[in-house]
Amino acid sequence: MKLILSTSNIMGSGPSVVRRPLVSKSNAELTAALRSNFDSHREQAVASSAPDSTFRSWSAQEGDKLYAPTLDTSGLAEERSAYDITVKLFYLPHVPPSKRCQHAKEAIDLVLRELRVSSIDLLIVSFPGIAFDAEDESEEDEHSDAASLSGLSDPTGGVIEDTNSIVQTWNTLETLHDAGTIARLGLSEFGSHRLARLLQSVRVRPSVDQINVRDCCVVPKPLIIFAKQEGIELLTHNDCTDILPPGTLRELLGPEKGIGILAPSGCCNNSSDGLRGDVIPQWVVKYTAVVKDRGVVENKGYFAAAELQDPRALVSLLSC
Amino acid sequence: MGLLAIGTPLDWPEAKKEASKVREWGIEQLLAIWRRAKGKERDAMLWGDEIEYLVVCFDDQGRRVRLSLRQADILTALAEDEKLLREGGGVPDLQRGDARPEHVAPVFHPEFGRFMLEATPGKPWGIGFKDLLDVEPNMKLRRRIAKEHMHATEFPITLTTFPRLGCADCTTPAYPVSGPKLRSQFLPDEIANPHIRFPTLAANIRARRGRKVEINVPVFRDVNTPWPFKDPTVNYDLHNWPEDDDVRNGAAKENHIYMDAMAFGMGSCCLQITFQSKNIEEGRKMYDQLSPLGPIMLALTAATPIYKGFLADTDVRWNQISRAVDDRTAEELGEKPLAHDRWRIPKSRYASNSTYISQDPRLRPEYLDPELVIDPVLKARLVAGGLDDILATHFAHLFIRDPIVVFAEDLQTLDLSKTDHFENLQSTNWQHMRFKPPPPGNDTGWRVEFRPMEIQITDFENAAFSIFMVLITRVILSFDLNFYLPIARVTENMETAHRRDAVSEQRFYFRKDPFGPARGHPGSGSAPGSGTATPSLPPVEDEYTLMTVNEIINGQADDGSGRPGFPGLIPLVESYLDSVNVDVETMCQLARYLDLIRRRADGRLWTGAKWMRGFVQQHEKYKGDSVVGEEVEYDLMRVVEGIGRGETAWGLEKLGVLGKG
Repeated sequence: MKLILSTSNIMGSGPSVVRRPLVSKSNAELTAALRSNFDSHREQAVASSAPDSTFRSWSAQEGDKLYAPTLDTSGLAEERSAYDITVKLFYLPHVPPSKRCQHAKEAIDLVLRELRVSSIDLLIVSFPGIAFDAEDESEEDEHSDAASLSGLSDPTGGVIEDTNSIVQTWNTLETLHDAGTIARLGLSEFGSHRLARLLQSVRVRPSVDQINVRDCCVVPKPLIIFAKQEGIELLTHNDCTDILPPGTLRELLGPEKGIGILAPSGCCNNSSDGLRGDVIPQWVVKYTAVVKDRGVVENKGYFAAAELQDPRALVSLLSC
Repeated sequence: MGLLAIGTPLDWPEAKKEASKVREWGIEQLLAIWRRAKGKERDAMLWGDEIEYLVVCFDDQGRRVRLSLRQADILTALAEDEKLLREGGGVPDLQRGDARPEHVAPVFHPEFGRFMLEATPGKPWGIGFKDLLDVEPNMKLRRRIAKEHMHATEFPITLTTFPRLGCADCTTPAYPVSGPKLRSQFLPDEIANPHIRFPTLAANIRARRGRKVEINVPVFRDVNTPWPFKDPTVNYDLHNWPEDDDVRNGAAKENHIYMDAMAFGMGSCCLQITFQSKNIEEGRKMYDQLSPLGPIMLALTAATPIYKGFLADTDVRWNQISRAVDDRTAEELGEKPLAHDRWRIPKSRYASNSTYISQDPRLRPEYLDPELVIDPVLKARLVAGGLDDILATHFAHLFIRDPIVVFAEDLQTLDLSKTDHFENLQSTNWQHMRFKPPPPGNDTGWRVEFRPMEIQITDFENAAFSIFMVLITRVILSFDLNFYLPIARVTENMETAHRRDAVSEQRFYFRKDPFGPARGHPGSGSAPGSGTATPSLPPVEDEYTLMTVNEIINGQADDGSGRPGFPGLIPLVESYLDSVNVDVETMCQLARYLDLIRRRADGRLWTGAKWMRGFVQQHEKYKGDSVVGEEVEYDLMRVVEGIGRGETAWGLEKLGVLGKG
């Protein structure tokens, strides 16, 4: 079974989103926003004294997909051209790159449905384990970049991120671009070497590279020069790369500290309505719709997708 | 200041006789605007800043600095600058050269003081983040252009007040004091812009009051300050005008610095920002939500520690301007029983806001002032003309005042395509916010002006505060924030902001939770302004608490009872910036601006007021007696003038303006 978790629009719903810790990276925003959205749906269900106040009452199942909460497709207030819609897709560690094409389509499709639009202006992709390092960059040393490319810098020990799989993923995005679904493509946390390598093998060039420079303005010269040369806009972000670790998600959905979508662990408790199995995050997508000429963020939210795996299947996975 | 109409101004009390007519015609013009523009929609976010300068003249040999009264000559020089005109700039009021649609070069305007200049960008700013990077260079350009049209010894300075304004020999050229218009014993009539509007404004305010304006600022008591302090510059033996009796009747208060003319207030320089909203509803919301921020930003930009050659015990200009244009009669002030006037009026025409104007369901009736003075007849006319109750109340409140400057030529026929009578009242109500309807004849939308901030010494600081406020408006709209608190508390906060070092030493009433109650919350069912208490919401008193400026700007760890505290305006701005695409270069520049404000608020950096006070007190010629002498003033102004060129001096590192700024 697949879980599609959503924060709904987090602007204006306030507290969970902008509350402390405000300075932390936006992993806290995602988890707090999911939690708060679940909580408010549960409260509403309880308040309306529906016969069934479990998550079933505010989620929807379509085939093998469970939407929690049910997709809110109220859309945007003004016509499409008034908005700048940016979507950032986070690929997660532990997920095989072969699934990325399908994940990209799923994620974009959800955003389009949520916002009731047929295209987005910019898609930024974030690959697991790729973190821009200003020092590596300034040394202008092929080796350090090569070292991080080999996946050694990925602390979670996830999949090895190589140029080939990135290019393959990019090719999928190019077809979405060709179809007019995505106007511009972008990347996150790419240094100049990695960018250069990618540029050699792509048809639709990235127009944006997003790097995390919140605390210091020491963007290395080589990157600035390279980006200018290649017409790539350097944007800032404040997201962490491993945005939804399995443990965090398990806690959010679990019966004790979470919303109770998952059943308690152990096999003897049959009284619970919760789902059984191990939950494995697949991808996260963040979207923002900004009214262009007013600088107002009208809609911002996240979707997170997770696989719920049969415990027995998991056992066999782990044993191999 | 608005455009300067030419005509024959009526003296008081002739102008008084026409007051009702002007008000009624002004209301009809407002209704015409309302009919034309109430449905105006989807206007872009445009904004503009206004920078005001003092023009000073250095005498390096004599180690003196004086105010230059050559405003007219300088404006003429600017108006005749071919290059400036070609690029769409210049001086629109002097109307030379063709008006160009594509304004790029800065624009210069006259101001009340003949020693003042105002400069605005040639066209409004947008919200594109790269636009924000142009603001500081443009402010520097304005300063450079202004300087290029002055004598070598003259400089444009961005200080709220000239430290020794009103002391002997403070202007060049010098003129005798005690003229017929101001009747001031400290300042000559020539201190005011000679355009007939300005002396008439000053004279009619004085005439309406029945005496001179009266400005008493508490003096700062230093180690050698004589105590009780009796302002030694007051002349009790002057007998030129009936108003010379004012001081013999006790106008000059003990332990205060006494001033007696409009120029002491209206000669102050401010930093004002105007925002265009997408429609009237958004404008009204912004007006309300920015209102509670007014006193906070006043305290944070404090830059006025010196008046008439003495250290004051306050740090900001606001109340002095308020008193300098206070035209209330003794009856209106409550000093005499009402006999000729219509009502008691608790505030000057220059004062903090007295009401909210939005139809926001979160506006609880308890936030409003039940005693708000309004003109019920004019309100009824506005309501009959289609305005909703709360907006009609706002204008019926502004229109309790008399028009001060009335031109005979304008009283012939009512022209509903013009707004002159409406603007006559609207623009002489100097509240800390101003709600501005779309002007006729172009596509400008509904606007809100944020007026409390003090001008800062450097363009870096002025850009930082301007852009901070711009970002705050985007934050308010994006997160749908709620800063409402009772308007009476905003008024109290305005007083608190005056205290010496209020930014570090005082606490302000502020709303604890800017997010609630959530949209669509059933909470406030009753219509705003309906005067009944709101059911099912906690008492209004529980919604707000006392906070320091640091807590309001940088956030609270928790609210003291374990719940999350106020998140802080800067963290909110950062959250907003996380949600939009900002390029690296812009983000770094914005971070510098936010850092200045963050550190001014937490006390690591000083306000301009604190720095100037310290500069005076450490000066070798200062005797610890609160007197800011000529040489101290000269050195202070030399430093202020030199900061932009990177020169250093005592304590400047505490101002946070060195380095790249």
